[in-house]
Amino acid sequence: MPKWKIYTPEGVQDILFEDCYIKRNLEGKLRNLFRSYGYFEVETPTLEFYDVFAADTDLTPQETMFKFYDQQGRILVLRPDVTIPVARIAATKYRDELFPLRFSYISNTFKYNELGGGKQKEFTQAGIEVLGINSPEADAEVISAAICALKACGLESFQIDIGQVEFFKGLMEETGLSENDTEQIRVLIDRKDYLGIEEIVKSHDIPEGLKELILSLPGLFGSIDVIDEVEKLTSNRRSLKALANLRSVLEVIDDYGLGRYVSVDLGTVQGLNYYTGIIFRGFTYGIGFPVLSGGRYDDLVEKFGKKCPATGFSLGVNMVMMALDRQKIDAEKPSIDSLISYRSEGRKTAFKLCEQLRSQGLAVELDIVNRGIEEVKDYAQSKGIGGIINILDDENIRVINIITGEISNTTMNELSRKGWGE
Amino acid sequence: MNFQGKAGVSDEMRYLTIALSKGRLTDLSIDLFEAVGIDCSELKESSRKLILFDEANKIKFFLAKPSDVPTYVEYGAADIGIVGKDTLLEEGRHLYEVLNLGFAACRMVVAGPAELQGKLDKLNNKRVATKYPRIAKEYFEHKRKESIEVIKLNGSVELAPLVGLSEVIVDLVETGRTLKENGLVILDTIADISARMIVNRVSMKMESERINKIIDGIRKQLEKKGEPR
Repeated sequence: MPKWKIYTPEGVQDILFEDCYIKRNLEGKLRNLFRSYGYFEVETPTLEFYDVFAADTDLTPQETMFKFYDQQGRILVLRPDVTIPVARIAATKYRDELFPLRFSYISNTFKYNELGGGKQKEFTQAGIEVLGINSPEADAEVISAAICALKACGLESFQIDIGQVEFFKGLMEETGLSENDTEQIRVLIDRKDYLGIEEIVKSHDIPEGLKELILSLPGLFGSIDVIDEVEKLTSNRRSLKALANLRSVLEVIDDYGLGRYVSVDLGTVQGLNYYTGIIFRGFTYGIGFPVLSGGRYDDLVEKFGKKCPATGFSLGVNMVMMALDRQKIDAEKPSIDSLISYRSEGRKTAFKLCEQLRSQGLAVELDIVNRGIEEVKDYAQSKGIGGIINILDDENIRVINIITGEISNTTMNELSRKGWGE
Repeated sequence: MNFQGKAGVSDEMRYLTIALSKGRLTDLSIDLFEAVGIDCSELKESSRKLILFDEANKIKFFLAKPSDVPTYVEYGAADIGIVGKDTLLEEGRHLYEVLNLGFAACRMVVAGPAELQGKLDKLNNKRVATKYPRIAKEYFEHKRKESIEVIKLNGSVELAPLVGLSEVIVDLVETGRTLKENGLVILDTIADISARMIVNRVSMKMESERINKIIDGIRKQLEKKGEPR
């Protein structure tokens, strides 16, 4: 007895009529936006070799991937991410193309996520990557596209936090602390655990000014003034370079006219083995996790055999849907404009009429049950269809408005003459 | 340049939601919030309502089982939470831990019979009884680089070594009296524990002004009392 046949596994979902309609519309808007920025879409395989993702343990830790074997015993995974396959493509199939290379994708990805708050084990990511260029303009273009993506989805209240991981890396290099201690400090800063940081920093011989700066890291977020402040507090060249880079990116974003959506967070210290420069995340109301994240990852593509700087972002489509729902932002719902029913004498006419209406972009449902007009009305009502066109024959056509109950009689000739403008 | 983030936020204020741990932390938390001008009167009346309000400040409260508080906060169902460090370590949630409130202080320790003092390393096949399996595993695997067998218990953990269920235990110790009475000694301290204020990562950004006001207010209160930050 197949015990589980009517269930779906935990963490995956059926997406039904209304949600699916909304989701496809969102994906359509995102796809159009990416195209309008000159990004071409790729589709990478759902299955890849484990080795592809083993190249980066920060973004895709082994224990988060769905794994199985192929016939030769090689380990396969369900793609947990699209950025890494794109890097693989860029370093192999497009290795001789002129830079910049602009990729986009909208694909389902799979991870052993803990569930809830918009997180699922199968989820759709939409994103872009620019490869081959390391310039503030490239980072700013990606961030500007991220902002416009959220706007295109219908969100208005959101914030993009931008940091620069080289700032933290510079400071840590200056302390001379071991990799272990650095990692501990990173975790504590990421948690904004001031006390924990103080304990570690105190127990090491670190110059006073640097100590203070590390202690203040979790609170270094807000407006661009944060950069001005911090620039005065350090003479570390690597960190200052990071701040200058962050400032240039912010200036470019401001020229896009999008400055009001972004703020600075120098305490963003996640994925340090992966990110090499700018790092950013998008937040909105009603959802406890970032809806998008991105940044510069100049070392990844090289792992596939070609040295190539890169930057990009990806947006969680399911997360955005949940945010839209929580923020009660109206989305277009699926609907049917008219239902056409007919008697056998009017069948040919009915099909002709259907074709005409459909070619005008209307959604028309044909009654295929041959039921009585009262039943047709009930059906239309239950499905929220606005009108019924009941065709007896060419000369006798009834148009029934379900909402007002109004019925008018017409003929095929009249209909063709008047057209179906409204 | 105009970089302030939060573009398009409407004037209509949203409710901030605070999750409090049910139990000994509840009253201490209420005292703190009242000291910074948040009205907890509804919270103090014992009622059956699950969610309580301070309408003037647009704040919602609810009480939850301590081990659930980090979950509510991580998922953004609550913006702020008050919970013990023991729970935070055990739950390992992704959130901001912004203040050490100082109260409910105790220690997370490894304890066992006195003859194991200084000989913990020599013991092959360690069986560790605890209410905190994650903390125990983390400590032995990462700090001591040893694998252990964790036995999850739900109370009276001290009993386990006495009846031969485990060699050692990992548990919270306040005064150490229970241990002493049962002939157990502290073999190592894993962490100092006290109540913490935690904040959801997104809320910290989207509601930074209001949340920082609460944090700063409470920090000042703590400084007045001379408790650690």
